[in-house]
Amino acid sequence: MTSAVDDDLWSAVGDPTRRRMLDLLLVEGEGTATTLSRQMPVTRQAVAKHLAVLDRVGLVRATPAGRERRYRVDDAQLSRAVAQLSAVGAAWDARLQRIKQIAEAIQRTRQH
Amino acid sequence: MEFGSIEREVYVEASPEVVFEVVSSPDHLKQWWPDDARYDPTPGSTGEITFGDPEAGGGVVSFAVVDARPPRMFSFRWTHPAGEVPAEGNSLLVTFDLTPSGDGTLLRMTETGFREMGWEAAVLEERYREHVHGWDFFLPRLAPYVATLGVRP
Repeated sequence: MTSAVDDDLWSAVGDPTRRRMLDLLLVEGEGTATTLSRQMPVTRQAVAKHLAVLDRVGLVRATPAGRERRYRVDDAQLSRAVAQLSAVGAAWDARLQRIKQIAEAIQRTRQH
Repeated sequence: MEFGSIEREVYVEASPEVVFEVVSSPDHLKQWWPDDARYDPTPGSTGEITFGDPEAGGGVVSFAVVDARPPRMFSFRWTHPAGEVPAEGNSLLVTFDLTPSGDGTLLRMTETGFREMGWEAAVLEERYREHVHGWDFFLPRLAPYVATLGVRP
């Protein structure tokens, strides 16, 4: 869980702008720096840089589209990233919910 | 200041004594986290927790109790390499703080050590907090999507 690849993935998805871009790509199926920048409060150049980061860790795949590149989300890599993020943050949410259930069940038994 | 931490808080309708039992005793730990747990819930005690069947690809993870002050606080380190002394840099530190609140207990969980273990993105605390909040929004949306893919992580 601490390899260089994992760190890069963590970092890539950790940025709110990049998460928003992944969101848009998932909803629309694909997009270019131009189409994404129309829906976001950042410049086309900034979007292109973020796309390059996502591309480097394999979260998106690009195909040439005229002067631009058209991006799609890479399902396998996204699935991997989500599994890792879940493993850390959301896993504790689930554990705490179980702690709560167990403790409250014990408390009810003791009161009756 | 500690960077790269995960913090969670939950209100439990049970006394701090009961909650302390649940977060610290190996028998209870098994009910909310690993499949097996072997340690003595006293400061300095070392042991291990097991996920799945070790004979069939499961994992045995080192576990060491750092502090135990019933019914207010319980902390432990985990993920350090077997045989190494658990310390900052080779393990994650989990701390449970229990505060009486009304008829129940406010349970606060903190897990730290990601930066030391090489989680570079967690270097800036501010940015990290953003991550956690972001995931709270992001993960619930993604999980159902990912589930439809049939792709193994």
